[in-house]
Amino acid sequence: MNELRGIRSKDSRLSGVSVVDFFTKYYIQSLLIVAAVVLGLVNPYFRTATNLENILLQASFSGIGAAGMTLLIVSGVFDLSVAGLLGLCGVVLAKLIPTIGISLAICASLVIGLVLGSLNGFVVTKLRIPAFIATLGMMNIYLALAFIWSGGEVIPASDLAFQFLGTGTFFGVLPVPFIVMVVIYLFCQGILSRTLFGRYLQAIGSNEIAGRTAGLLVDTIRIITFAIVGGCTALAGVFLTAELSSANAIMAGGYELTVIAVVVIGGTSLKGGKGTLFGSFAGALFFAVINNALNLFGVGAYWQYVVTGFFLISALGVQALRSAVLPVE
Amino acid sequence: MSDLEKVSDTEAMPKLQGVAHFIQVFDSLGVFALLVVLVVVASIIAPGFFTYTNVTNTIIMASITAATGLGMTFAIAVGGFDLSVGSVQGLTAIVAASLLAVAGVPLAILGALLTGLLMGLFNGVIISKLKIPAFVVTFGMMSIVRGVALLVTQGQSVMITNHPDFATLNNGKILAIPVPFIIVMIVFTALYLILHHTPFGRHICAIGGNRTAAIASGISVDRVTIAVFGLVGITAAISGVMLSSQLMIVDGTLGTGLELQAIAISVLGGTSLSGGNGNLVGTVLAALLLATIASALNILKVAAFYQYLFVGVLLIFALSIDTVRRTIIAKLTLSRV
Repeated sequence: MNELRGIRSKDSRLSGVSVVDFFTKYYIQSLLIVAAVVLGLVNPYFRTATNLENILLQASFSGIGAAGMTLLIVSGVFDLSVAGLLGLCGVVLAKLIPTIGISLAICASLVIGLVLGSLNGFVVTKLRIPAFIATLGMMNIYLALAFIWSGGEVIPASDLAFQFLGTGTFFGVLPVPFIVMVVIYLFCQGILSRTLFGRYLQAIGSNEIAGRTAGLLVDTIRIITFAIVGGCTALAGVFLTAELSSANAIMAGGYELTVIAVVVIGGTSLKGGKGTLFGSFAGALFFAVINNALNLFGVGAYWQYVVTGFFLISALGVQALRSAVLPVE
Repeated sequence: MSDLEKVSDTEAMPKLQGVAHFIQVFDSLGVFALLVVLVVVASIIAPGFFTYTNVTNTIIMASITAATGLGMTFAIAVGGFDLSVGSVQGLTAIVAASLLAVAGVPLAILGALLTGLLMGLFNGVIISKLKIPAFVVTFGMMSIVRGVALLVTQGQSVMITNHPDFATLNNGKILAIPVPFIIVMIVFTALYLILHHTPFGRHICAIGGNRTAAIASGISVDRVTIAVFGLVGITAAISGVMLSSQLMIVDGTLGTGLELQAIAISVLGGTSLSGGNGNLVGTVLAALLLATIASALNILKVAAFYQYLFVGVLLIFALSIDTVRRTIIAKLTLSRV
């Protein structure tokens, strides 16, 4: 009898858990849908095609950076240098377009992103400096290089064909950067869940020492992942430069914060080992919707600092609570 | 044969022992030696560096960073660090300036210190109670406090007009010693006594050195962590007050990048990022070192961008040395077992 009651109560708890589980698992997606529906009902301008396009465009800047960052965070570290790197790549791109043409300049900018990303990885793995502090130092260096190269000026990028990358749309509502973002997310999801490399990332993220003992080339894996982050950042820099039709060293101030917040609020654990690109994707959209709403309601840009920081901390609070509610995960 | 040689003879790795000894000496003297060398070099290549006015200015600049750096050393010793200090410095500078418009100097300073304390305690509570990593909490707070500072001022500047005497906190001298340096010396003495001569200080090092062991031995880790971050908040506020008395006109963007400088001087001064110890003397010396470099670069008319570059490179360099030090210490510990 007692046993039976035990089973039944366990059962009911189980179904309770699965509802909680669904919402904790997909809480950012649920939150995004609720926010979008409420805003669409409250504010008629919110649901116009122009505004939707705007949101997707804004989401793709942080979203593209967040794709690489998700992989990196799964491997157990993260990169704070992306704001400086994005500025540097943007400045290089804007400087090079008039001399070597659009496609070569974009290639050069992407190569710089990949190389400097690997450099980050090298500093973190080979000099064995904790990632958050090493990349904070590297951010200063990249920012300084961007300042030096641009002379502290705004570099215009007035080529119309180039600007299309930032302002052009498909079907009138899907911006070019958003399409690229979708492709990148599919690609990164493929890497994470379908390749050996993705398995290795998860392995070293959840237990680095075990990974090393098992013979994984932890340093090489990390350096490659840092390079992916650098590449994604450079790509975001290309689109941001195209949208602004100019570049300057501080064009991405606070970008690192936004990108990490997007990844974390998407449900990827900062402890490493597991992550969800679907979550990061929704996270990027969520932040874009919130910022858009703040703008629509005439709340100033300064609030966005507060909101981003608040969501970063509370997302981790939710993670902490979730692991308290669901001890076995 | 001296004692030292006898010891190294019996050691399994005498060469490593020598290096470790060198590192110990470098920790206590290295920054000082580097500082002396840099001052000499700066005096030679930058005419006008070694004048009373410029040396005073350099010391004042160093004092503002050092105040926060001393707090940061505590945060690192307990095994975390605080990225929000730059924003807290900015906000407290604004609080001080705004209060001066309606109240006296003591109340303004008290208000600023209280604000810093509250921010710090908030950091500490979230870190210890919600068990969120210190760098993420303080990273988020960096953004939030910055936003608040900009919101409070609406992006405008706040001028301190009706209290000209407030500036003596910065340009005043007692026996030819600048007041900011005296303030830092007081902070230094207080923190030194706390770290080395109180149970609280020993608990900080215990937690930073081995958290699990600290918990097992009954140390209230949460309370110590909260207190340390509160302390960091106060030191950031002291920097904020000093900065506002230096500039006499403040805005919401003040203090950007202070967190990096504070961490850099702590690590450069010999405090290991792995936690468990704090070298407060080194922190003050490293602050003087950084200010000397900045001052020399200014006199040589090197653009501000290069100073960013320099701080970044210096940080990476200092941390690489820290890595070498830790590797050797780890090897030594292993070889003794």
